Amino acid sequence: MNGFLVRVVVTAAAVMLCLTSIVGQTNPYEATAELPPMSKAAHVHITQGPSLESTNSSSAIIRWTSNNPRGTDEHFGVVTYGTDPKNLTEIAKSHIRLNRNHPYTVFRVRVDGLQPRTTYYYTVDSMEGNGTRDGVKSPIRHFTTR
Amino acid sequence: MHLKSLSLGSIVFLMALGVAMITHGQQPPSTVYNPYPPGILPTDINSELARVLREVNFIEAEAIRQWHAIKPPVPTGNPPILKDTGVASVEILGKLMNFDKNISPFNNTACSSCHMPYAAFSGPIPSVNLTMIAYPGSEHFRAGKRTAQRYTYSSYFPPLQYNATQGAFFGGNFWDSRATGYLLRDPAAEQSQGPPVDPLEMGNPDTACITYKLSLAVYRPLFEEVWGKGSFAISFPPNTASICATPNGAAVFGGSATPVALSPEDRTKSNNVYDHWAQSLSAFEKSLSVSPFTSKFDAFLAGKYTLTAEEKAGYDLFRGKGNCNSCHLDGRSTAPAPTNLGAVDTGVAADVTPLFTCFGSANLGLPKNPRDSIYYETTPDSFGFTPNPAGFTYTDFGLGEFLRSGYATFASPNSSWTQFAPTSDGQMQTSTARDVALVPPQCTGGTDAPGPYFQKEFFHNGYIKSLKQLVHFYNTRDVYPFAVESGHCPAGTVEKVTCWPSPEVPQNMDMTVGKLGLTDAEENQIVAFLKTLNDGFTTPYPDINTYTGTCMTGGNASTQGNNTILSAEELRAGAGARSH
Repeated sequence: MNGFLVRVVVTAAAVMLCLTSIVGQTNPYEATAELPPMSKAAHVHITQGPSLESTNSSSAIIRWTSNNPRGTDEHFGVVTYGTDPKNLTEIAKSHIRLNRNHPYTVFRVRVDGLQPRTTYYYTVDSMEGNGTRDGVKSPIRHFTTR
Repeated sequence: MHLKSLSLGSIVFLMALGVAMITHGQQPPSTVYNPYPPGILPTDINSELARVLREVNFIEAEAIRQWHAIKPPVPTGNPPILKDTGVASVEILGKLMNFDKNISPFNNTACSSCHMPYAAFSGPIPSVNLTMIAYPGSEHFRAGKRTAQRYTYSSYFPPLQYNATQGAFFGGNFWDSRATGYLLRDPAAEQSQGPPVDPLEMGNPDTACITYKLSLAVYRPLFEEVWGKGSFAISFPPNTASICATPNGAAVFGGSATPVALSPEDRTKSNNVYDHWAQSLSAFEKSLSVSPFTSKFDAFLAGKYTLTAEEKAGYDLFRGKGNCNSCHLDGRSTAPAPTNLGAVDTGVAADVTPLFTCFGSANLGLPKNPRDSIYYETTPDSFGFTPNPAGFTYTDFGLGEFLRSGYATFASPNSSWTQFAPTSDGQMQTSTARDVALVPPQCTGGTDAPGPYFQKEFFHNGYIKSLKQLVHFYNTRDVYPFAVESGHCPAGTVEKVTCWPSPEVPQNMDMTVGKLGLTDAEENQIVAFLKTLNDGFTTPYPDINTYTGTCMTGGNASTQGNNTILSAEELRAGAGARSH
């Protein structure tokens, strides 16, 4: 308790000096709201992938890299998939946030609700936060769950 | 009709309490509420609560001296401006409120009891941060469900808005953004209106209780100088003191949200006082006493500090390979490409405010933390209040729950937002990275073992115990996923190192992170950079020297706190075994 009192006395003077000198001053920054979206890239093309990052008996993660699609910072990777390569009916999408300063973007999409030891075919695309597609041309790839 | 029912309720309330029960300044009969299985409540909880209360009282006394040291403001002109010392007055008023324990029902809990300056105005008790993660309220030991968020820079968040272009929510305060700022246009102000009446926190039964207690506060003259002489011209009923000394949720209130019977006119006045309480606290939070922009990083931006090699490497990873600044915006106009870390940074000016947040929300896929106190508060306390009847089945859906006006959150003020609840489930606010590493100065090792370190808690449920773990989680969440609960990682793995239990909310997982490909050394470099965001480098951080507890030592940052992990099954089996 004595130690506490000593600390109280010692710190009181320093804190008083500090605080009485700063109250009422103005901060150097003010907040801005979310910035307007960047202008969209003319073409969004895949530079790496798409490929299977990981899988287990019921889910998978698909990964690819494209040039930065720009547009809204809030973005989604989209995987269209199914067991028949000519009839891809299921859609999975995962949220990412673009980095305005990066020349390219890594997309990763989690696909859940899969059947074990089953081969799935898929294509990929990306889309803005409001649902506007980026128009990525994707090959059809496949993976098999465990 | 409404007034009549209120009066009737008051009579019933008085009868229930009895004439000999409570007078102002006394505490009602209460027994300790401890529904927790062994291992949840820290063994030093009582001494630590007492320690924090001493520190709170010390800072309150300091604030009183500061108040008396400034010249009273002079209302001038019309609209009336509090000339010369108006800004200082409202900021100090907010500080006086923040450290006032008498606002709580049992005069034992201030706002700052969960938000102390040496922890960047977040949780001040290392053992609570290590175990139950939520802080005990005025009624011991009711406790909430989430970690205490830092005040720092929270007042810079804009009012919650749905941005249709981005298809996402931005702004608000609290982990679930439920303090929207829809009315006061200041989320931080509306945030401060929550805990005083949250039954698991301060637990006042009526917002009028805060008005009543402010009318008795030693700093009432300052309040009236700032907000008007007639602020407290309210006829409080004789039973106000006894009502306000009984915690919210008590069965005796019969579910009433307004047990203090006020006339409509007085209720309006009281609501105005409560708004002014909120705005004063927000003024304090936005002041240089809390959010001062005095970090190494600010000095770096001003060209007055050169980052060390470790800090610079961490910064380049933060905005490069780690991609942290996609959400924790750093305000620089350029960044090294992930594949070209040696690129010259030509950015010299901030292109956005460097608040290290995008004001948005994300579901990072954190595992459920079975140590969270909320899961065990399934039995009634001595006031007949049961905090969480759902027990372990409770799931924290964050923003989605709020948008539905769901369980243990605010009502949503905008029904058009409800449609976005399913795509917002699991999302929690992206806090600023500023001051994430701020600790008492005597804990020279920072937040991480081997220290000497100050045990903090990270993210909304405190599952993460060190900054090393925090970065490692972002880096490897999808590298080491296991379909298990905490405490059940397979043999041969180490939880939080090579095993991440299942996410509490699997939908809407953010995939910006999860497999970043950072090396162990690179993780450490990002931690080194995060420390440059601590305020107090260019100017001492106010009141940071008030910590009188001890620092911890030993162990390593990767497994910090792992010795406190308990089996979820074991905890569930123990839950309910004890009662109040």
